[in-house]
Amino acid sequence: MDTALSEICTFVAAIPPFDKLPNETLETVIKEMSICYMRGGESLPPKGITDQRLYIVKKGALSYFSSDDELLGKYAERDICSRFCRKNQAEEVYVVTDEDTLLYSIPYDHFTETVKDFPDVLSFLAETYEERLNKKVSTLNEEAIINSSLMNTTIEDFYHAPAATVEASTSIQNAAIKMSDLGFSCLVVVSDDTDPVKNNPVGIITDKDIRRRCVAKGLDISVPVTEIMTADMATIDIGNSAYDALMMMTHKHIHHLPVTDDGVLAGMVTSTDLMNNEGHNAVNITSMVHKAKSVDALVEISELLPKLQVRMAKLGTTADHVGKSISAITMAFTIRLIKMAEEVNGPAPVPYAWLAAGSQARQEQFAHSDQDNALIISNEMKPEHDEWFLRLATFVSDGLDRCGFIYCPGDIMATNKQWRQTQKIWDTYFETWVSKPHPKALLNSSVFFDLTTVYGDTSLLESVRDNMLKATQKNTLFIAHMSKNALQLRPPLGFFRDFVLVQDGENKNVLDLKHNGIAPIVDLARIYALAQGISATNTIERLRKAAGTSSVTKASALNLIDAYEFLGMLRMQHQAQRLMAGKKPNNYLSPKKISKLEREHLKDAFKVIKTMQDARQSAY
Amino acid sequence: MWQNHSLFSWLCGYEAQRKQMLKRAPEGALKEFLSVPFPAVNTPYSSLEILAVDFETTGLHAVNDKLLSVGFVTLKNNQIALGTSYHQVIKTVGDLQADNVLIHQITDDIKNRGLQLRSVVEKLLEALAGKVMLVHFARIEKQFLTQACIELYGMAPVWPIIDTLMVAKRRMDNRDVSYDPSELRLTPLRDKFGLPEHYGHNALNDAIATAELLMVQVNNMPKPSEVELGDLLL
Repeated sequence: MDTALSEICTFVAAIPPFDKLPNETLETVIKEMSICYMRGGESLPPKGITDQRLYIVKKGALSYFSSDDELLGKYAERDICSRFCRKNQAEEVYVVTDEDTLLYSIPYDHFTETVKDFPDVLSFLAETYEERLNKKVSTLNEEAIINSSLMNTTIEDFYHAPAATVEASTSIQNAAIKMSDLGFSCLVVVSDDTDPVKNNPVGIITDKDIRRRCVAKGLDISVPVTEIMTADMATIDIGNSAYDALMMMTHKHIHHLPVTDDGVLAGMVTSTDLMNNEGHNAVNITSMVHKAKSVDALVEISELLPKLQVRMAKLGTTADHVGKSISAITMAFTIRLIKMAEEVNGPAPVPYAWLAAGSQARQEQFAHSDQDNALIISNEMKPEHDEWFLRLATFVSDGLDRCGFIYCPGDIMATNKQWRQTQKIWDTYFETWVSKPHPKALLNSSVFFDLTTVYGDTSLLESVRDNMLKATQKNTLFIAHMSKNALQLRPPLGFFRDFVLVQDGENKNVLDLKHNGIAPIVDLARIYALAQGISATNTIERLRKAAGTSSVTKASALNLIDAYEFLGMLRMQHQAQRLMAGKKPNNYLSPKKISKLEREHLKDAFKVIKTMQDARQSAY
Repeated sequence: MWQNHSLFSWLCGYEAQRKQMLKRAPEGALKEFLSVPFPAVNTPYSSLEILAVDFETTGLHAVNDKLLSVGFVTLKNNQIALGTSYHQVIKTVGDLQADNVLIHQITDDIKNRGLQLRSVVEKLLEALAGKVMLVHFARIEKQFLTQACIELYGMAPVWPIIDTLMVAKRRMDNRDVSYDPSELRLTPLRDKFGLPEHYGHNALNDAIATAELLMVQVNNMPKPSEVELGDLLL
């Protein structure tokens, strides 16, 4: 191509989606282009242009406004304005030059014909922001499928079949012989051949059971294995992912999980299988945590956490998966610390549960986040018992801080008497927050609407949560106040040159991914969940469950999930980069470091959030 | 001298000369060029057909030096249509001077793969018919095209020219403030109007850069919509 046009070619070729065009097609596109010039303050399209066109800003800037004069965004050098591509499309908005502007314009009819063999290019320009974002997130998820073995391998791909079994009447000794012969550390106990339902799994027996429940207790080795087996065993259906198996094993602290197919025993998956599948992984760290003998040992293990996060980010794992893994590990740390405290202080005087709040409860935690926790204690608690619980809280909280989960700056910790209370008091807390909502109080307590039991008696929180959700569903004033608070964090409009463009047309140097992107979606999902009585705490799960209810349409919920996953991915990559550079992870992204394409996707994500926030606002 | 005439009679002079020359012109490209009337002097800028042209040459002397390459593009309706752009290296006789090659980046190799002068000049005359030529610093293009036509057809035609350098100079002269003549070169002028950097010393690139400059100059005049050919002519 001519040197002159090759200069223009280079300029255009660097702008997505033109980067996807081969040279000869791009040259044809360039030949269809016209260069236009407009003074500042003029309205697009330029005088004399009546056909539908695509515009690329070569130099200068454009602003676009809604029909009621609200600034919607800006275009600067290398931005594509596709508002004049189709008839009627431009009617909802108007576009004005901010300054003297040199534009490249491409007649859209010719263009669609020229690039007809490149549907991706056309769809990029023609699709709505929701469609574009969805496509991007689908691609990211596909990449994650390829990259992350655990998340997306089904159990079927690596379980052992058939599971090694022994009949219920087998003696402990014979079971031990079979285990030695097979080289297995675990057998599933099935009903005897003579039973009406033969080979029905009735329990599980492991090396550890033989050691602890038989040898250590001096039990006769000729008694049936049923004497020492774990009868109430966890199983997992073959259709689940390896990741689900990991979650269940982490949560229940087990290393062997029988696999069932349609309720029938089909095989066994072990933590070794998972570890082999994903070397330096969450299971690995979790099992190290369980074995740790001291807080010092835990501190040492905790240093692996940022490394795990980096590794997962590099593998292209989704932010959802990383959040769940880090949250599961944090849970393991907490449980280990609680057990250490119980070893020192003796058993709890009354039943209780250790609760996690905020991001850990939502399973959205990343390395280096602060701790948010609380204690819910049985109503049988006497005043003198509090000393035991304070000692527990202090030990665990100090331990978590040493392990990198720093003290909560807002003092939302079990060490705070306010958040170390009986079930009855927690009921009254929620009752006050819900039935007498006060905006400021709600702002401070919203973290408690994301609660989960880490350790202890899960029924304590369940009953409080049930009461709370019954109340929130009915209380529109509460939902209105929550909505109002949630609308205080707004996404930016987009980008202007190397700045973040915010609502009032101001420019900011950095994008706060957390407060201007992720938190608004978390808030919306929480509101939907509370309004619909959904007990889930994870944002994606809340959105999935709320989809199609009176709170949010199915399509909107899916759009929010796309936006959430995309923002999460960007945050994770950003943090991984910082961690690799030996810096503390944060949520601040400089526009200079965001690629042209990512900016487009970010703008789409912002638009999704804005649309849903506006809908929320008009609902109240 | 024609400079003393009013613009109107000046262009009438051009039209009259065109008709005279048409009678004498040999059959072929030159005659076809001369057979199309020049645009009227009161044609509004917005409907004027302008051909922005730039030459790269082996030197500044029209008789001793040679045309090396020609680039042009059409400007109409305040739009530069890149589909009309043309760029061609000419197969001139003789070897190139090394210091010049550095400037225009046309090597002997490239030059020898170029077209004959005749076919390039014919393309230019064909594109220029009925249009106004736009150049920055008209002397080079004017002298070299004149010389080329004399060589090819035994006579040189007349044609109207807009010179962005003169448009800028008139504006500066009217302001009655002193300025450095170097401010009138293409790159400083484009800078002054906030136009982006361009890669110069390529004929088509400079033609496009000149067309962009004219768009900016016209749009920065007090009443752009009332600008006519007569306001812009050399």
